[in-house]
Amino acid sequence: MMVASVICSLTLPNSALGFPAPQQHLLGNGCPITYLPVADASVVCIEFWCQAGSAMERNTESGIAHFLEHMVFKGNENLPPGAFDLQIESIGGSSNAATGFDEVQYHLVIPPEGLALACDLLPQLVLQPGLERESFQMERLVVLEELSQSEDQPEEVAFQRLLHLACGNHPYGRPIIGLRSDLLNHGPADMQRFQSRHYKAANCAVAVGGCFESDELLKMLAAGPIGELDAEQDPALIDLNPDDLHMHWQPGEHHLSLPRLESARLLVAWSAPFAADPEALMGIDLWAAALAEGRSSRLVKVLREKLQLVESIDVEVHPLERGSLVILEAVSSPESLPKVRQELEKLLTQAQQGFELQEIERAKRLLGNGYTFSHEAISQVTHHLGQDSLQKRLLPLDAPLQWLKQWDQDRLHSLAKEWDLSRACILEVLPE
Amino acid sequence: MNQVELLHQPESPILVARLVLAFGSRVDPPGQRGRQQLLAGVLTRGCGELNAEDFANKVESYGANLRCDAGEDFLVVALKCNNDDAKFLLPLLLDMLEKPSCERDQVNLERDLNMQTIQRMREDPFYLCHEKLRQLLFSDGPYGHDPIGTRNDLEKIEPESLLQISKQLAAQSALLVLAGNPPSSLQEQCGNRISGWTNKIEAGPLLIPEPLDNFAAVRCRTEQVVMMIGFRTIEIDNPDALLLRILQVHLGVGMSCRLFQIIREELGLAYDIGAELITRSSDSPMIWHLSCGIDRAPEALNAFLGEWRRLIEQPISAAELNLAVAKIKGQEALSCETLSQRADRLAALLSYGLPKNHSELCLKKLPHISPSELQQAAQRLLQKPNLSVCGPAAAINDLKHQWQVAMS
Repeated sequence: MMVASVICSLTLPNSALGFPAPQQHLLGNGCPITYLPVADASVVCIEFWCQAGSAMERNTESGIAHFLEHMVFKGNENLPPGAFDLQIESIGGSSNAATGFDEVQYHLVIPPEGLALACDLLPQLVLQPGLERESFQMERLVVLEELSQSEDQPEEVAFQRLLHLACGNHPYGRPIIGLRSDLLNHGPADMQRFQSRHYKAANCAVAVGGCFESDELLKMLAAGPIGELDAEQDPALIDLNPDDLHMHWQPGEHHLSLPRLESARLLVAWSAPFAADPEALMGIDLWAAALAEGRSSRLVKVLREKLQLVESIDVEVHPLERGSLVILEAVSSPESLPKVRQELEKLLTQAQQGFELQEIERAKRLLGNGYTFSHEAISQVTHHLGQDSLQKRLLPLDAPLQWLKQWDQDRLHSLAKEWDLSRACILEVLPE
Repeated sequence: MNQVELLHQPESPILVARLVLAFGSRVDPPGQRGRQQLLAGVLTRGCGELNAEDFANKVESYGANLRCDAGEDFLVVALKCNNDDAKFLLPLLLDMLEKPSCERDQVNLERDLNMQTIQRMREDPFYLCHEKLRQLLFSDGPYGHDPIGTRNDLEKIEPESLLQISKQLAAQSALLVLAGNPPSSLQEQCGNRISGWTNKIEAGPLLIPEPLDNFAAVRCRTEQVVMMIGFRTIEIDNPDALLLRILQVHLGVGMSCRLFQIIREELGLAYDIGAELITRSSDSPMIWHLSCGIDRAPEALNAFLGEWRRLIEQPISAAELNLAVAKIKGQEALSCETLSQRADRLAALLSYGLPKNHSELCLKKLPHISPSELQQAAQRLLQKPNLSVCGPAAAINDLKHQWQVAMS
């Protein structure tokens, strides 16, 4: 039976990776529910996603998106603090949440018989936070402890400095957890304003995977707070600074010395295409894997195995909505750092001449298998569906494997030509 | 007796293998802490006709994940690959143990890398605190160090000595777990090969010295203090192990657990808080951990002590027991989602000499356990707490005094 408030139903093109084709329904207010029933799964995973990450914060709001994620678990007048966790964990379920630059996500894993409870409680918890003053003050202490904990990790401090140097005043240059001065000033009313501004139907998505009855699921979700979310965004409330939407990349070379750092770091950041262009990012992933994934990759082979200059070196691609980041990290002794830098420059220049066919095939196998291996569990697939639904680019699960095939030697050569240290933000970090 | 076990999943495109040998860091000789992990790393640096470079090329050209690591009790070779590639990679996995190259330059390289890793890990106050706790609980005994070892000891290990022990790896009591859909001929081939492994493992009894003190600290210029309370408990196959697991889940699993609710939610003292039970062949450590601001550390220690006394002095409620039981059932359901999880679980059970249906047996026992049994178990097993602290000197002095008063 179709639920009244469901206005649109889509079945995506095909099944893949051993899973049936996911389906999607748009609720009356436009919020997409993407679902993947798998009859023999032992659990159900529910994820709620919202475009309310730290990049949506205004100038003095730093940390409020993440702080709100904490406060959500403090409940509301119908769900006192701890009641949600207690009820979910009493049936053998578990929950957690994470805040990123672009989005926040809340997830639950429960046994199939707990579906009705989860569909009742999770939307209430996430969409109707009480933000009670006393809980707010107490949770601020917890968030400040989390901040102190990250400040006691020199690697984390170095990484944040790199982002600040590379992205400047763009929100990606600020720590997701926020600045201490801002965290001390936030009040419940500030948080309520942030919540009201961003937790709208158009900014949200739900993904559900596992063992459940689809009609029942849709009926329950549509009847609760998700179905009641405001459909329209108020443009007056979304007056983001245009400078926040596009990153002004700041290449350059910087030095930092840190107490308690035991090994030197060479950190290199490049800007990359938007997350909305995943096919282009796949090419960069391939370039990164050819350079630094496995002992046969160029950087590992030369810098670690042959010259023995680094303890480790890796390159990671971070897809982001307002401009992705590619970050290289090399760990070495302080004495070796200049030589690491020199050799890296040489190796990147060589890579601009292109890669051998064998290197590309190896990197493709590693990437392709890595993708398949990381989509084995229903929780992993549900996570993928949630993120893609939120950004309105839900594609077949095997689409990344198809994009990978499109990248041949010539195309990768054209891409590699553009990657050297001249347009990167470089940070050399030494022990104090 | 060597053993091959198959978790058959006919439709799986993936194959997972776990080869387990009783060569964990507990057999590191005195003065050679880190030897077994060094050996594990060197095993991925060539075997048979393949030198280190050829070996890496072969594994990576199939896009496979292949790791070899020493835990405290066991050395484990872990493979994940496409099912179709298993016929090329499983024989290689066995070659690693039968014909390791152990070339001098590769041993030296791996040793240098491990020494650098230890250096970098010292940036993390949790690592420093945990290392101190290990020494407090196990002194210089078999579990008294991280498997990666220490820089001083690694420096002294000669490549030739590693080559000698590498020749003993094709040993009795090897366990190979395969998960996926390997051809039956391949499974048979693996079985035939490891059944020919006859080297004897000459592991003496585990002699773990008694702790000399119950407080240790590392001075560190940090904003926070890291605190770990540790207990030396029992072997994994002890009948009390299930009771201990319930206590650990009650204290430290999920956001409704006791430590999280009291120390984080009620008092706002810490962000990261939990309780772990690290299962071992003997003396499994239970560790409660948190980090908090220096000025609030005495309050956090008081809260920890209060929870310890509560556990010893009064039974947990029936509702708390039911909650812990539900969480264990949930953990069991969640721990068999992927082939790797299932292979890891079976490999761990069989390596420790537990039956394949150990989890089912535990689940059947759960409804019959009472709060008073748990209290008695806490009184037997958690009577002697040990505290390790990492933070600034002044905070350490205050906490040491507070601890000594509480323990006197």
